[in-house]
Amino acid sequence: MSDNKTERLINLTLALLSTKRYLTKSEILENVAGYKGTQEAKERMFERDKDDLRSIGIEIEVGDLDVFFEDEPGYRIPRKSYELVVPELTGRELALISIASNFWNDSILAPSAQSGIRKLQSLGIPAAVDFDFRIKYRFENPTQVLEELSTAINQRSKVTFSYDSTSLKIRHLEPYRVLFWNGFWYLIGMDLDRREIRLFKLSRLVSGIDISKKKNEYEIPTNFEAAAYLPKSDIAIMHRAKINIRKDSALILRNRGTFIEQDGEYETFELSYENEITFLRELIWYETNIRIIEPTTLKAALLALISGVAK
Amino acid sequence: MTESALERTARALDLVPYLLEHQGISIGELASVFGVTEKQINQDLVLIHMCGLPGYTPLELIDMYYEDGYVTVSDPQSFKRPRKMGRSEMVSILVSLDLLKSLRSDELRNEIEKLHKKLLTSLQFENPFVVVQDFDDNPFLQDLERAIAKSSTLRIVYLSGNKDERTERTIFPLEIYRANQATYLSAWCQTSNADRTFRLDRIVSCEVAENSEISGTPGYSDVVAEQQGAVLLINKSARNFVENNRAIIENIEDVSGSEELLVKLNPVDSDWLVRTVLGFGGGISVKEPLELASDITSRAQAIQKVYGEK
Repeated sequence: MSDNKTERLINLTLALLSTKRYLTKSEILENVAGYKGTQEAKERMFERDKDDLRSIGIEIEVGDLDVFFEDEPGYRIPRKSYELVVPELTGRELALISIASNFWNDSILAPSAQSGIRKLQSLGIPAAVDFDFRIKYRFENPTQVLEELSTAINQRSKVTFSYDSTSLKIRHLEPYRVLFWNGFWYLIGMDLDRREIRLFKLSRLVSGIDISKKKNEYEIPTNFEAAAYLPKSDIAIMHRAKINIRKDSALILRNRGTFIEQDGEYETFELSYENEITFLRELIWYETNIRIIEPTTLKAALLALISGVAK
Repeated sequence: MTESALERTARALDLVPYLLEHQGISIGELASVFGVTEKQINQDLVLIHMCGLPGYTPLELIDMYYEDGYVTVSDPQSFKRPRKMGRSEMVSILVSLDLLKSLRSDELRNEIEKLHKKLLTSLQFENPFVVVQDFDDNPFLQDLERAIAKSSTLRIVYLSGNKDERTERTIFPLEIYRANQATYLSAWCQTSNADRTFRLDRIVSCEVAENSEISGTPGYSDVVAEQQGAVLLINKSARNFVENNRAIIENIEDVSGSEELLVKLNPVDSDWLVRTVLGFGGGISVKEPLELASDITSRAQAIQKVYGEK
């Protein structure tokens, strides 16, 4: 059964692709191999086949065969809409694409990437691999949600999802972009409850997303820069701290600091930091081998953090 | 789940132009390229062989022959060029190029950027994905890549975080990867006679070993850190811990009626766990084993003493 249908779909594609003029439905049903049964059954089969081919991205053009005999429409697949058109790629570029696509491992995006590559490899470009290219990316594997969001953004449909947060659980969003940052996937868009642009970590989505049935419900602001909404690393907000480090310890910490002076069994270093909690964790790692001298706010923050554990 | 006729059609349509550019390819290789079994490829080829243009005389059929497991196409009919790409194919390729670019700081970065632009302009579509560069350049990255490519042995000086030591090691580098906002090297460490993972930003120096032979004789063997499982109660404020340590988590349960998670860990280095938990303040508490919980409390108290508290 599956054989018959596959064979018929291939024959139909080939017939419509090879013709210069439009083929009428009766020409198709009569001549393309695979259409069997009553006239009605054949016609239903043909309608389904057209829908199927369109669903895998094949454009079937419908046109009038002859303006004087408008009894029957005609069909064909224009070659330029069927075939892949890409600018000239070099073998080196093709190799880069292959290497990149391997990042997907066996995640949800892997099959698409692989079939995309197979198409590029069918263009007759000689392969050239001459890279010493060994770095890989291990990250949170993309899930089905990524594909769904891509569709929602593409057709400008609103999404609803439940989010693991202490305040608002159900979120309504006009999705703008999906971001990959620091090993995680994020969704950015207009939060319709809060009326502002917000960022959501996809791993905190409680279940899947609901995509609105409507399309073109909103617009993404022109020149929207997703990266502008991320917490920024800003040299102006770098803080400085004086830290005492016990001799021969906290090697990694001293490696990035500046030695100031000897202080008994300690050595004093100046260190810069951006994010307080990250820096505190770095310091706490060395437990009693370090001592914060200043700022006092940092010292207070460390003691507050530790008191949560020391109870 | 059985494959639909449509999926099979899509593959068949892609098979013909691929075969045309890979004349004489083996069934085995085809199967691996298309991610299906050899049996499936054989069935596909038999089917394609029967397809053609109305008339369906031998001249109008897709013509191919296979011999001893190798395939050649002599007449592809109208399937000479590959089909255009669908949106998800384009998206996955473009995003992976962005990821690759985000890992490079060398001249390759410009090359990838140019390639990305080239594809994007020709494909005429909006890319909903944005990859944000988060990679810090490391001076040893290219040396390490070259060493892996050439299978060379390296001498490195490394600052160990867990032991707070500066060590000199002879290593045989295997793989570099970026994960959890840091870049790592996994390698065979001859000095400790075991596989080891190193953080690139903790390598102090790195050079190719003169005598680049890795010997099988064990040097001193690192004292194997004490490893044990644990059960943690994690407040949602500390869920970064969960997100960054998926690999060591055996099980997660929601604690009903609270904002907490009960997390069961695979065996891990106890010292690592203690220091990490300390850094989360009260966000993580150890439920089991009890000795670990009291160890954490007393080490927290020791830190307080440094500041003359309690």
